[in-house]
Amino acid sequence: MGAALAPPAREQVARLDRVWKERTGLLGWLTTTDHKRIGLMYFFTTLAFFAAGGTEALLMRTQLIGPNQKLLTPEAYDQLFTMHGITMIFLVVIPMTTGAFGNYLIPLMIGARDMAFPRMNAVSFWVFLGSGIFLYIALATGQAPNAGWFDYVPLASKQYDPGLNIDFYGYGLIFNGISSTAAAINIVVTIFKLRAPGMSLNRMPLFCFAFLAAAFSLIFALPSLTLACLFLELDRQLGFHFYDVAFGGDPLLWQNLFWIFGHPEVYIIILPAFGIATSIIPTFVHRRMVLFPLVALAELLVAFLGFGVWVHHMFAVGLATEVTIYFAAASMIIVIPSAIQIFSWITTILTGTPEFTTPLLWIIGFIVFFIAGGLSGITLAAIPFDQQVNASYYVVAHFHFVIFGGAVFPILGGMYYWFPKVTGRMYHERVGQLSFWLSFVGTWVTFFPMHIVGIDGMPRRIYTYVASTGWGALNALESIGAYVLASGLLLVIVNLAVSLFKGERVGADPWEGDTLEWSTSSPPPAYNYAVIPTVTSAYPMWDERDRRRDQERLEGGRGVLARGHETPASTVQDAELDEVLGMPPYSMWPPLFALVLFVGFVMLLLAHYLIAAGVAGALAAVLLAWHAREPHQAPLDSTGAAPPPLAREAAS
Amino acid sequence: MRPPRARNGGPARRRPATAALALATICLGGCGGGQSIVAPRSHQTSLIALLWWWMLGASVVVFAGAVGLLTIAWFRRRTPGLPLFGRREEVAGGMVIGFGIVIPLVVLVALFAASDLYVIRFSEAPAASSTRLTVDIIGHQWWWEVRYPGTEAVTANEVHIPIDTRVNVVASTADVIHSLWVPRLARKIDMIPGRQNRILLDTPDPGTYVGQCSEFCGLQHAHMRMTVIAEAPRAFHAWLTNMARPAPAPTTAREREGERLFMSRGCAGCHQLRGTEAHGEIGPDLTHLATRKTLAALTIPNTPAELSAWVRDPQAIKPGNHMPDLGLSGVEVEKIASFLEALH
Amino acid sequence: MSGALPGGPAGEPAPLLAGEGLALQPARSALARSGEAAARMAAERKAQPSGIWGMALFLCAETMLFVGVIGSYFYLDFRVEHWPPVGVKLPEVLDPSVLTAVLVLTSVPMALAARRARAGALRATVWLIALAAFVQCGYLAFQLHQFVAEAHTLHPQASAYASAYFTLLGLHHAHVLLGILFDLGLLFWLRTGLSDYRITGVRAVALYWHVINVIAVAVLITEISPSL
Repeated sequence: MGAALAPPAREQVARLDRVWKERTGLLGWLTTTDHKRIGLMYFFTTLAFFAAGGTEALLMRTQLIGPNQKLLTPEAYDQLFTMHGITMIFLVVIPMTTGAFGNYLIPLMIGARDMAFPRMNAVSFWVFLGSGIFLYIALATGQAPNAGWFDYVPLASKQYDPGLNIDFYGYGLIFNGISSTAAAINIVVTIFKLRAPGMSLNRMPLFCFAFLAAAFSLIFALPSLTLACLFLELDRQLGFHFYDVAFGGDPLLWQNLFWIFGHPEVYIIILPAFGIATSIIPTFVHRRMVLFPLVALAELLVAFLGFGVWVHHMFAVGLATEVTIYFAAASMIIVIPSAIQIFSWITTILTGTPEFTTPLLWIIGFIVFFIAGGLSGITLAAIPFDQQVNASYYVVAHFHFVIFGGAVFPILGGMYYWFPKVTGRMYHERVGQLSFWLSFVGTWVTFFPMHIVGIDGMPRRIYTYVASTGWGALNALESIGAYVLASGLLLVIVNLAVSLFKGERVGADPWEGDTLEWSTSSPPPAYNYAVIPTVTSAYPMWDERDRRRDQERLEGGRGVLARGHETPASTVQDAELDEVLGMPPYSMWPPLFALVLFVGFVMLLLAHYLIAAGVAGALAAVLLAWHAREPHQAPLDSTGAAPPPLAREAAS
Repeated sequence: MRPPRARNGGPARRRPATAALALATICLGGCGGGQSIVAPRSHQTSLIALLWWWMLGASVVVFAGAVGLLTIAWFRRRTPGLPLFGRREEVAGGMVIGFGIVIPLVVLVALFAASDLYVIRFSEAPAASSTRLTVDIIGHQWWWEVRYPGTEAVTANEVHIPIDTRVNVVASTADVIHSLWVPRLARKIDMIPGRQNRILLDTPDPGTYVGQCSEFCGLQHAHMRMTVIAEAPRAFHAWLTNMARPAPAPTTAREREGERLFMSRGCAGCHQLRGTEAHGEIGPDLTHLATRKTLAALTIPNTPAELSAWVRDPQAIKPGNHMPDLGLSGVEVEKIASFLEALH
Repeated sequence: MSGALPGGPAGEPAPLLAGEGLALQPARSALARSGEAAARMAAERKAQPSGIWGMALFLCAETMLFVGVIGSYFYLDFRVEHWPPVGVKLPEVLDPSVLTAVLVLTSVPMALAARRARAGALRATVWLIALAAFVQCGYLAFQLHQFVAEAHTLHPQASAYASAYFTLLGLHHAHVLLGILFDLGLLFWLRTGLSDYRITGVRAVALYWHVINVIAVAVLITEISPSL
């Protein structure tokens, strides 16, 4: 905000600075409810888990580099592949997208000052951290879950897996699910209610459509997993018989409940990546997205249709042909909304004037992998073919193409793209491009040959193989690819870490981006926007008139909302301004809640049910105390005193 | 078209390399047979392999097309608008509708009809009346029990079938979920507690076909392999008749000593030798162990040295499997091994 | 989904912070401490407050949980020939139906409480919530007594039927307990008066009860289905 401000406006902005001043030190971070700080905490935590999951992968690839290797015992290998899957899905991709990118960027993109429920946002983070620690305690004590990330019974039943391994899984995923559900609710309400005046639903960034779809899916899908895990623990701990054939139960009940969650989960993973892609493409190809409304609709449709295809994970189970055919048809139909999006991206790139900077390269890489992975996915909808390659490395190839190439590549691209916004510095472009190429080549060399060994009969989840299978050569190649990929990823981190200190400083909008976050400073002030922006199109930053009007309002001291921690709320469809909300700035209840919840889950794990019931009571007490203070009752500035009313405000 | 130079080498340059690699490896590993799904030896798997090749072809075309468009985008990066059509939004929109909706719909309907309406008829469970022989295969952690209903024949890890015969395989499990997969002969079928799933085995080609468990079932999932031996009907019947007989009696003193040890040192508690007092049901039936080509579910070849090593220390060869170390002395091991090697 | 802006000629956006007075009123909840002021604020709002949306989405998740447990019950039912297993007596129809009807009726005081809260009537709100909570506590006490008694004759560990039956009921009772805790929480916070934030709270808890009561009917039908 370089323009000269009239004294009343200057006073207002000064008050904003004072009222929104962030607490420093560890306590500040512990009690924060600021979406940007929470987003950053999510970011660094998920990076740590990414390193853990990646190390697990490298260990496995080293074990498989040749036949009959003895680096890992079967038990160790089984724990590693299970933890790799659990880590990457529950502790990396979901928290990185919904928690890090979603939290940091959604309020900025919609012109708001925070999420709808800032304290619940903090809870999501601390509960996520707690669940991750819970799961890794399992690995650290040598009793990590060891029956795969989808943990089929009866292998995961007490009879065949008597230790604590599976209990860590069952309780851990319920624990983790609480975080994701809270985060999802927050995202939906924020997007519905806190958009800047004028940002009707059809003017919302595609990023927000994608996250909205992912959040809705999370809310509707997670309960199925929670239920599956509940039944599992009831069977294991209390001798119930949900999955026990001898007593009238059915192991397929687990598979159905799991995949009713599991399939929407993969769309939850990919949709935010679509959102990141649709943010980066318009910026670097200098044109609007082709058929924007169709793309938005496609994103929502993918999420919705994703609930109707889960049985395609069970084509080899022996179900009636009619049942499998229906789900194969549904699995094919869901290709259409994805294809719409892919061709919209390609056409947009083709008709624009693309600048192949690092972020766009990652998106191009994403498109290439997503198409290849999508094609292998289509082949899996051909039931007889699936009945050959199900549970072989062909499937491992497919899902790594779509998850790694499809979700992680946009995340890495997004890290580069928004790095200047978050840090105020630019990364090193050449090193960035190198990091992309290393990762791109590494990903191909690691995962493409897996299609071939799968076709060649190699099942998944085997800790070794005999030489006579002939799988050694391709496995060695895959392992080498994994090291190349790891080096590419390391280079991304090194580039960003070094640039954090040495990078060239940049202003608010180094890319000429189209969405609102590029209008505020880099990094944004604690209050995001000094004046609440108003919006009349889907590409707000490319609307000079609107941005000028915002500036005029700021200079006139109108729409600054500096009385307290304030953000406007609007109507859902047309974003008509409806009210002004007071936001809570700091709270110690979220980390306390997470801590108590952690203790509760440990008690359940150790079968101390009475203590666990007591912990539930403590949780109720925490919630009672938490809600006793209403959000607006925060001290209005850091001195704790209420500032005097401004004379001008009563008139305007 | 010269491959683009400079830093944006473009994905187009990767494809020829990976395709060549793919071809080479398929020939090295797959064409020879082994466990490859593209080396089919039955009508069912031939149809699936054909389906695969068509799908691969179509995928290559689509992929190449998309990468081609991206490559064009790179070349035309300074010119806005489409090649030929310029900046006409309707054409761009039409491309999205055409490539994103219309063409995929057509291709998918065709694929659905071919695979899920036609080929599936051959991969489904066979009609009970259409098969001439039934084999029960029961999955265990980490071996396969094989029975021939209607006869006394019981064996493990090695299935014999006559060629040119529709064989009904009934797949079930004694413990956790396993999956029976003999890629060159049939699609896989999961073995689920409480279910009796069925698949068809029918091949005109005599030979040895390798199968492997294809659903993670615990510590030694990696070493749960099997063979299906398809042979002329006469050879098959000879084998089956032999399998149905009780265990041959030991002929030498050493073998008799081995038999005594087998009964007294715990082996009989887990293993069955039909026609003797050994009735254990926990481990594989060993009545005609010497006829098998491999041991421990294809983990090791069935030779005297390997058999002795296995009996002495099964955990060293297949760690975590359910056969305990019985603490046998070297001499005892040799005697038991001689006894077992005589069980033809 | 109109792109048109509220008011204003085409091409020229209306002053979005229209009637600037609206935009710059101090945080509304901060002002409305008295019942009357709170009621006025609640009435002026055009859209549902965030708290209602949050509760509605939470209820979507809980509904899916029950869809899952009811679905699992029927899945296991259709997998076996005898459900309940031979020798287990069929569930009662009358008692559970009457109890469920009593629970469902508590939606009435809760709905009324929400309305009185919106009108700013603190006392009426408190009494209505207390009435609902009282009846709900009675219901839960009855149900828990039944639950424990039944578990002694039909052990959950006896069969998949018993496991499903007790889990279904247990989950439902847990949600009723949670609702009662919400009621008690409201009574606790309302002791110092009504604010806009608390009005939203009352409405959200009323919504919770309406959905739980619909689920209660679904649970009832499932529970007594073998006897129907």
